[in-house]
Amino acid sequence: MVDNIPGIVENFPGGSILVTTIDSIINASRANSLWPLGFGTKCCAIEMLMATGASHQDISRFGAEVVRGSTRQADLMIVAGAIVRKMAPRVRLLYEQMAEPRYVIATGACSICGGPFQYNSYHIVHGVDEIIPVDVYVPGCPPRPEAFFWGLLALQRLIKEGESIRRPDIRRKPVMASLPQGITMDDIQGEMRRLLEEQNVVNVAESAENKIWTKRLKEWMRKPSSKP
Amino acid sequence: MTVRVRTLDELLTPPAAGSSALSTQEYFVNMGPQHPIAHGSLRLVLRLDGETVKEVIPVPGFVHRGIEKMCEKLNPRQIIHLTDRLDYLSAVMNNWGVAKAVEKAANIETNGRIETIRTLMSELQRIQSHMLWWGVLGMDLGAYTAFLYAFRDREIISELFEETIGARLTMNYVRPGGVMFDILPDFQEKVKKLLKYLGPIIDEYDTLLSGNVILQERLRNVGVLDGKKAVALGCTGPVLRASGVPLDLRKLTPYGRYGDVEFNVAVGSKGDCWDRYYTRMEEIRQSMRIIEQLIDSIPEGPVNVLRASARISIPEGTYYDQIETARGVLGVMLVSDGKSPSPYRVHFRSPNFNNLWAVTALAPGWRIADIITIQSSLDLVIPDIDR
Repeated sequence: MVDNIPGIVENFPGGSILVTTIDSIINASRANSLWPLGFGTKCCAIEMLMATGASHQDISRFGAEVVRGSTRQADLMIVAGAIVRKMAPRVRLLYEQMAEPRYVIATGACSICGGPFQYNSYHIVHGVDEIIPVDVYVPGCPPRPEAFFWGLLALQRLIKEGESIRRPDIRRKPVMASLPQGITMDDIQGEMRRLLEEQNVVNVAESAENKIWTKRLKEWMRKPSSKP
Repeated sequence: MTVRVRTLDELLTPPAAGSSALSTQEYFVNMGPQHPIAHGSLRLVLRLDGETVKEVIPVPGFVHRGIEKMCEKLNPRQIIHLTDRLDYLSAVMNNWGVAKAVEKAANIETNGRIETIRTLMSELQRIQSHMLWWGVLGMDLGAYTAFLYAFRDREIISELFEETIGARLTMNYVRPGGVMFDILPDFQEKVKKLLKYLGPIIDEYDTLLSGNVILQERLRNVGVLDGKKAVALGCTGPVLRASGVPLDLRKLTPYGRYGDVEFNVAVGSKGDCWDRYYTRMEEIRQSMRIIEQLIDSIPEGPVNVLRASARISIPEGTYYDQIETARGVLGVMLVSDGKSPSPYRVHFRSPNFNNLWAVTALAPGWRIADIITIQSSLDLVIPDIDR
């Protein structure tokens, strides 16, 4: 545990002293003792909250096994399943009831973007990030428990690197946990925007110059009229 | 006969306290939409007198995604994946329900291999679903050990599904005219190994939890649902059978390979929570019997009678077919106008919706702690109620 905290360990005859910052101590403690809220609406709840909490995949290996029924005792909301419009105000309320600092993992396609109900459904919320801020996205339908653990580890890393007590509300950008860590949604969006712009911006005049039919058209236009 | 419909606002108005000095004020308590017992998002409004429940008003709709409306834009093959998300603990059976209705409507004939694989997968899923219910009932009543045991064994079936189908929960496996993938060569061997393992395990469950005095005290004579009331409410599945009505579509109108196998329908005598508990425990054993008889007699043949791109045209008309899922009768109604590839109207008669209203009949007179027992013994899956 002490090895993971950035700082200097100085050995003394009677033991050792750790010189570090308060931020890293607090963040390390927060990251390793997450208390999730048992908040499942749909299929993902079976995989995310039940299967991960059970004996085969053991969530307590990551220090997050204390699943609470009450929002006031929890600081991690695992949004497992679709959120619909009737539920949306309640989700916001639950989020606001949670103890600060609070974190959100959106698991499964439904809570990321609406999933299979994205089109043609009149009652779905297209992603839980329309209502509450999300820290980590875990894609899948439903994700495997291992994928969820990967997301949990990503969140722990975010917490360890992220917040400072001097700047309490400033967080790292949300992370898509199926990708290598460190790539934020902004990076992905930026890259996609760059690619789209690169491919979509076409210089019509320049590209038309190179075509064979342009040359033929010009030749044809230069010709005097062959009509009698 | 006139029926007066009471609105939710009207129901939630507390009645005035009586004039007597001994009369008490009734009050309301919300259970849900976020409550650990709901296992989903279900709001139960309890009208209480002290701790005694006077009335339960279920308010569903917190996971309503409009699946039936969505189906009107999709063709019969595309409906299948949405039915996974109805009752996700019996996904294969839901798929089969739609596939069966479509096959009936479009006159598609399947072969013995397809039907056997479907039956085997359904029964495996029934065991898996009942195991989860058993563990969760234990967890709800405070026996966390049961949950750990159930998930240990459930994981084996999940892995079996993952090998064959590629998914652990939402399978999308059965489709009109066949199944998605063929079984692997070592599937039969693995299932036999599983059955050999499960036999003593189910007995272990009995010694672990069923005989427990606290469990017996909390289940026996609590929430008695008599057969007539259960039929009137439209309950199906283990909830109805525990009340002594032996309605099981696998026996009544055999589909798949259920006509060829021997099995008994587990029926309760009284209709209390204990009967519902033991009916399901017995169903696990009967499902194992069915698998045991079928596993060696899987006929040869293709696993799809239709090409993947073949257009399924449903002639004009209304079609209804039903299937026995782990929680009761899933009815699928398709209305087709005969022109467009997607159905004009789809309706699912979901088992949990009707089973939910048993709470309103069972709960009055019991304490809040008994509501937990009653709701857990009904084995509700909320997304199936809301659709």
